Amino acid sequence: MIVTRSWLNEWIDLRGISTDEIAKTFNSIGLEVDRILKYRVPAKIVFGKVLECEKHPEADKLNICQVDIGTSTRQIVCGASNVRVGLNVIVATIGAVMPNGMVIKPVKLRGVESEGMICSASEVGLADAQSGILELDDSVGSFTLGQEVSENEILNDDLIELELTANRGDCLSVRGVARDLSAAFDRPIKEYNYTDNDEKRGIGRILSLSHEKDFDVSLCYKALELKGLTLPLVVKLRLAQLEESRDSKIESIMLYVTHASGVVLRAYNHSFFCDAADKTMAKIVLKEDDNGYACVKGQKKASTIGIIQSSESTVINDEGTILLEASYIPPDIISKKMAKNKIESGPIFYKSSRGTEPELSGGLSYCIDFIESHSESSTFGGNIKLSNSYRDKIVIVKKHEIDDIIGAVIDKVVVSKILHNLGFDISKSSADNFIISVPQFRHDILNKQDIIEEIVRMVGIDNIPSKPFVLTEANRLEDDYFSYKKRTIFRRRCAQSGFFETVHFVFDEKKTLNAYGFETTKSELELLNPIVKTLDTLRPTLLTGLLKAASSNVKNGYSSVKLFEIGSVFSPTREETLKMAMIFSGDAEAETLSNSGKPKKIDFAHFTQKISDIVGNVELKQYETAHSLSHTYQSAQILISGEVIGELFRVHPEVEKDYDLNNAFMCELEFDKIPYHLKTARQSSKYQASFRDLSIIMPKDMSYETVKNVISENATDELIRFYPVDKYSDEFLGENMSLSLRFVLQSIEKTLEEDDIATSMDAILNALNSKLGVGLR
Amino acid sequence: MKEWYDAIHEAQNVEKLEEIRILVFGKKGVLAAEFVKMKNASNEEKAEIAKDLNNHKTTLMNEFTARKIVLQTLELQEAMKAESIDVSLFSSSSQSGALHPVMETMDKIVEYFNSMNFAVKTGKMVEDDFNNFEALNLPKYHPARDMQDTFYFKDEMLLRTHTSPVQIRTMMNSKPPIRMIAPGAVFRRDYDITHTPMFHQVEGLLVDEEGKVSFANLKYILEDFLKYMFGEVEVRFRPSFFPFTEPSAEVDISCVFCKGEGCRVCSKTGWLEVLGCGIVDPNVFEAVKYKNVSGYAFGLGVERFAMLIHQIGDLRSLFEGDIKLLEQFR
Repeated sequence: MIVTRSWLNEWIDLRGISTDEIAKTFNSIGLEVDRILKYRVPAKIVFGKVLECEKHPEADKLNICQVDIGTSTRQIVCGASNVRVGLNVIVATIGAVMPNGMVIKPVKLRGVESEGMICSASEVGLADAQSGILELDDSVGSFTLGQEVSENEILNDDLIELELTANRGDCLSVRGVARDLSAAFDRPIKEYNYTDNDEKRGIGRILSLSHEKDFDVSLCYKALELKGLTLPLVVKLRLAQLEESRDSKIESIMLYVTHASGVVLRAYNHSFFCDAADKTMAKIVLKEDDNGYACVKGQKKASTIGIIQSSESTVINDEGTILLEASYIPPDIISKKMAKNKIESGPIFYKSSRGTEPELSGGLSYCIDFIESHSESSTFGGNIKLSNSYRDKIVIVKKHEIDDIIGAVIDKVVVSKILHNLGFDISKSSADNFIISVPQFRHDILNKQDIIEEIVRMVGIDNIPSKPFVLTEANRLEDDYFSYKKRTIFRRRCAQSGFFETVHFVFDEKKTLNAYGFETTKSELELLNPIVKTLDTLRPTLLTGLLKAASSNVKNGYSSVKLFEIGSVFSPTREETLKMAMIFSGDAEAETLSNSGKPKKIDFAHFTQKISDIVGNVELKQYETAHSLSHTYQSAQILISGEVIGELFRVHPEVEKDYDLNNAFMCELEFDKIPYHLKTARQSSKYQASFRDLSIIMPKDMSYETVKNVISENATDELIRFYPVDKYSDEFLGENMSLSLRFVLQSIEKTLEEDDIATSMDAILNALNSKLGVGLR
Repeated sequence: MKEWYDAIHEAQNVEKLEEIRILVFGKKGVLAAEFVKMKNASNEEKAEIAKDLNNHKTTLMNEFTARKIVLQTLELQEAMKAESIDVSLFSSSSQSGALHPVMETMDKIVEYFNSMNFAVKTGKMVEDDFNNFEALNLPKYHPARDMQDTFYFKDEMLLRTHTSPVQIRTMMNSKPPIRMIAPGAVFRRDYDITHTPMFHQVEGLLVDEEGKVSFANLKYILEDFLKYMFGEVEVRFRPSFFPFTEPSAEVDISCVFCKGEGCRVCSKTGWLEVLGCGIVDPNVFEAVKYKNVSGYAFGLGVERFAMLIHQIGDLRSLFEGDIKLLEQFR
């Protein structure tokens, strides 16, 4: 919404208040200032009058003008096609510095001396109101020849653009904005009243209005004989400031008055509503159209209330009998209908869906006054109207409720004054209660808190003290907090282990995911309106996002890429779960002196070590993944304390190729299954631990898991832990290999004797021998 | 004897010194030989010679020990010199990973509200119309519900457009008083330089008895919070409009880049909009069947906070897993 200082001045006296102060006030009352533009005509540019105007003998397009600039007459050569005798113009005199930096000097144009320049609007930095030189009229106020243009308030205006919130349709007009300022500055708002002349021919002779049923719509018509209409400069200038234009003068005035008054105005060609039999009587019918919208009709549809007008019903040539219509439709009715049943909408819909001015006669009077003073038109007496019945909305607010919600005591007189200036009626209020009648234009005010909001914005939030809330102590550390904290802890562990945290959209591409064997959201539950094709489904995995990110980092020259993400993934039935995934690709470490600039590539053991540094001791089991991202022979299930928590694998060579990766390992874990609970300390022995190494010969294709299970099942209590330390095979061993295991034995009660150790180890060896046929090397 | 004194002084290493020690003090050494010679002397002379020899023995031993310490020190110095390195070759850069700036900002925000006794509540991303819109006083025909803004599914479910549904669900499942924040990812159908289809919010809600919660309380906590996040900034409240709060306000801080002078980031206004807030609209309480309560609510975009705090220029770079960006946050 654009307003200007001079335009606001027509509705409220703003003398003594600077534009910056007005802007600050707008912000503090909830009308957010988007832009301020100050038009300033430079010095030495004065009002002048063209006394003589002759063609330049040497140039067709130039005119030699004698221009009265008050103190003297200057000869100025002018190239504008609209220059003529008698015109009041703007003259840049010698020494004037134009907004573009040009300095006006005496010059000779094709041999003719020129002392100054007759200016167009844009040349002096004004909105582009008119092509050619600016033709002044009395709509810019009075001026004397030779007077500096910079002294004129209409030309040197300040424009303020407001960004209005959706509930403030009442401020979509200059008058509406002025009404809010009137409450903020406690200055009265000016009203325009039109007095009808009784001698005029009545409108009833040329117009009849009927309606098929009761609509929630108000209409008001005036008729006039339009003749000799001129468009005053102020209208051209302000429409240019709004960056709007209309083809005809009457349409320009409709736009201008609607913007000024907030009342939706339309001009119809009278004959559109006349049938062939009777050319003098226009018959307007208010009907419902096929889509259920209220329409104004003659033989054909002339307009849809609050939405659009048909081009056939408009006034052509700015002449003849015309009908002016002011209309109002409640915004909720029109926006509900449009949301359900979209039809072509016109520029007025933006206003009507947010609420236009329901008090029609004010806008219509302003319009008639305006046309009469800028034309030789004659107006028909009276008007024809159709009013919907508006029942006053009453809101009752107790004084203490206002104070409680604001958190400060607001004086009763202040409250009354604010509400009164905003157009609310509080005449029936009692000692403790405000009984507030809400004006129709404030359709957004429905309850107490809406009223309190009005008081808050006028009092100013800056004037409300800040007070800490006094709370009742309560423990608010609940499950959701603990899972948030768990997430934070594991994120930190990942970062400590060298992984960078990434965040990806929860969207991914269905086609790619399916190609890699991931099941995506069921088609009947799928996204209806994805933003792009490559983000057309919910992700079932974090892996593809990490692959893409790793790939782009490799392209950026990173030879070692470590990334992780903890985020939501979705099952085909759209169930949301949290996963944690990592990718480690390329070099195991940075190039340094210690590795002579040739770091090892990441391998299975190194990657697994990294993962267990983060999640704790893990066990791996041979596993085939459901998707095809993994290397067939290097993929594992990860278990913690016997429970499967996810998978870990080397990336399949084909996938590595797809993503330009070299040696990549990934894992994906179900976050909720990663243990995060109270730890209990084991009793630890004070006696020395003993170590025994055994090398056993076992078939190459025998899984270590088998060996491990046999050892675990047959271990005595003294065996604390055991783990593989070396693997060896050669020609001599053939299909067998040697696996060295280290056993750690310790007792809670005593230092183990050789015999105790031998007993423990024998039990293991015997079991290995009898169950697996595996023996010592 | 003098030559042995010289020999000790001239020994250049510990081995040579050891040789001398054996020659002087050994069983067949010089001193032993002298003591043997002494046998032939008269008793008077014996005492004299013995005294003289013992003096030499003590002095030579002292000389020897002193020289040994000198030589050992020198040798250790030599040995360490051989191990010298150019430390400047080992200037090191961190090889640790880093947390994502948006997530870390979220942690910082959560930490503040935790310390102010707010519970953390989370919810699901796929939501229904009631919890995301209807209960929040956003009726069916509200412009904010346009298809352009919301991701819908074929079964009329949607991706939450804010974390407010978590507040609705919390109110439906528990009794007041409530004091909570809802951090999490939210979704709008918008993709350009300043918008991504997914971003993160933290929304807060406080509900207590009617008449207890005021706008002044909301002002206090948000002013304090913004100073915790951004340091000494000016805070400005502007009345605004949200369907679920009334009165509503938008909160600005003085521009952290130009200190309020006016720059490109703040569009020459000197202010940056960072928060939306207000007193909970009675229609919201009605939707969750709360009676005789009052409350405030607020909401903020985590990416915006992260970008302002860390001076990150490009929103979309936050979702690309780009190590060039991330390694700066080690």
